[in-house]
Amino acid sequence: MKNHFHPQKVKITKLKDMSSDVKLFRLKPMAEKFPLNKDDLVFIPGQFVLAGLWGYGEAPFGLASSPLEQGFVEIAVRKVGTVTTALHRLEEGNEMTLRGPYGNGYPLDFFAGKDVVLVTGGCGIPPIAALIEYIIAKRDRFGRVYLLYGALTPKDLLFREHYSAWEKSIRVILAVDKPTPDWKGHVGLVSELVKDIKINPRNTVAAMCGPGPMTKALENILRPLGVSDRRIFVSEERRMNCGIGKCQHCTTGDKYVCIDGPIFNYDEVQGNWD
Amino acid sequence: MTAARVIEKEKIPKLAQELSKRFDVFVPQKKDQEIVFDRFENGVKILLGYKTTLLPPKIFFLSPEEDLFRVTNGRVREIKIEKPFVVFGIHLKDLSGIVQLDQIMGKTPADPFYLNRRKMATLVVISEEEVGVPPGGDLILEKISEGYYRAITLTPKGRRIAMLPLFEVKNISAKKYPPSYPTKLDQMIVDSELVAQAVEWSRQNYSQIWERLGKLCIGCGICTYVCPLCYCTTIEDKTSFDQSICTRCRKWDACTLPGFAQIAGGYNFRPSQKERYFNWFYHKFVRAYYEFGQVQCVACHHCQLYCPAGINIEKVLEEIISQFQKANPERKS
Repeated sequence: MKNHFHPQKVKITKLKDMSSDVKLFRLKPMAEKFPLNKDDLVFIPGQFVLAGLWGYGEAPFGLASSPLEQGFVEIAVRKVGTVTTALHRLEEGNEMTLRGPYGNGYPLDFFAGKDVVLVTGGCGIPPIAALIEYIIAKRDRFGRVYLLYGALTPKDLLFREHYSAWEKSIRVILAVDKPTPDWKGHVGLVSELVKDIKINPRNTVAAMCGPGPMTKALENILRPLGVSDRRIFVSEERRMNCGIGKCQHCTTGDKYVCIDGPIFNYDEVQGNWD
Repeated sequence: MTAARVIEKEKIPKLAQELSKRFDVFVPQKKDQEIVFDRFENGVKILLGYKTTLLPPKIFFLSPEEDLFRVTNGRVREIKIEKPFVVFGIHLKDLSGIVQLDQIMGKTPADPFYLNRRKMATLVVISEEEVGVPPGGDLILEKISEGYYRAITLTPKGRRIAMLPLFEVKNISAKKYPPSYPTKLDQMIVDSELVAQAVEWSRQNYSQIWERLGKLCIGCGICTYVCPLCYCTTIEDKTSFDQSICTRCRKWDACTLPGFAQIAGGYNFRPSQKERYFNWFYHKFVRAYYEFGQVQCVACHHCQLYCPAGINIEKVLEEIISQFQKANPERKS
């Protein structure tokens, strides 16, 4: 029987500062390649891994790289607790551990043939970045695609070096709360940018990942556009500890975020008290 | 009169002794004024007919703290129990808890550490009361007279024990020792669906009870530790003093503790005791019902016996169900 708790060893082949407290880790498997799932992907965008370091523990991260890339996966690590602080001390060439991918991921076939609105904020972008890479690789399968991404300052916008490549295939709309003098984009909430979006609401899906307040913003963005809650897919953040639906840390209502999610139809989780 | 394999009451300690030649045997015994499961050694008095042990026998399968992996100089070793063991003298209620845990931990993706411990274990129940339909286990010794217990074997492991010469074949006319239950709690949990509906309904429609309990509950987690089937855990790493050995271990956690639903960065999805206490009920009686079709409570009453705040879940459930039925007269059972 597969022991889901037994992590694999991976090597850090690239480390990059993405903001003052977020680093991008590129992780290579000890074997030549990561295995493919039944959809010929390394993971489904939206799925998460438990990455860690022996002696410090594990923490959940949404995978951020292209799911078609077998040679490595990438995660964005924000220095916020014991595990992530330990990870931030590592250097290129060091080894760490990884298990997963876990959870369901965004329903890619459901997204196919539709306009896609991606909404995210701050450090919620990694799973959306993976989804963008997938969409770009299979561009013909999707209609108009918009990324609405907001952060506190321009420096807090992650994956900045990807925007120019993304903009060749999708529309990237950025917003910050506190601009720097050289900032040319929007100042304020991403929800104020709805007017820039032209979609057919009856043939649109939305994917969203972000901190709690983002969900409120989501209502302000997607409801006015006429996208039904059923076709809004949100990524829920919880303290996934075991990853296999046993430890109870990640429950919300009658669902487990680690196995039933982390991606949910908005109407499945919006009324949950926890 | 029917023929059955029976064991004399006086021979029960001898049976434990016989088993201890080949297995580690754990029996209920008195230690520091508390009844606990501990290793059988010669001279240990095995308690029969006890009401409850301080911690339930789930400790043998999901222990308060268990090592999962040990890493020495970069070599990772999975920790497995190698030696078979016997948990001897289990209470019928605790057995029901273990049977449910088997289902929970065995559900795909399964928990290999739990399953390994279960595979190495033999469960011997001793019941002072009539058993009825056996919930599971390997061997049940059911009291049939003041001096004798009948062997009910459920697995090959149990049959091998019942074939030991300490047992004899006897024609018996079993005397009935009617169970001390059903208590009110036993009766209520029979209708899992009603309980699930009522608890779910109460969050918004009878929230005063959760306000009240949120103030009463001190968030100590004891109810979950003494529960025969609560299974919240957290995985943590420990390192030796010289940092040469790292151990990844799993510890009991409790959903009633303040930080249980807190994520990195500090946001807490259940910020108040009211929400945490409600979640304990919600898990046992609603989420469990949706997931497994039955409530995760065996009506052992351990939680109310040990609750330092004196919360009586039987009364709580009774109040919720009665209010729910008042509001929904068609749901009278």
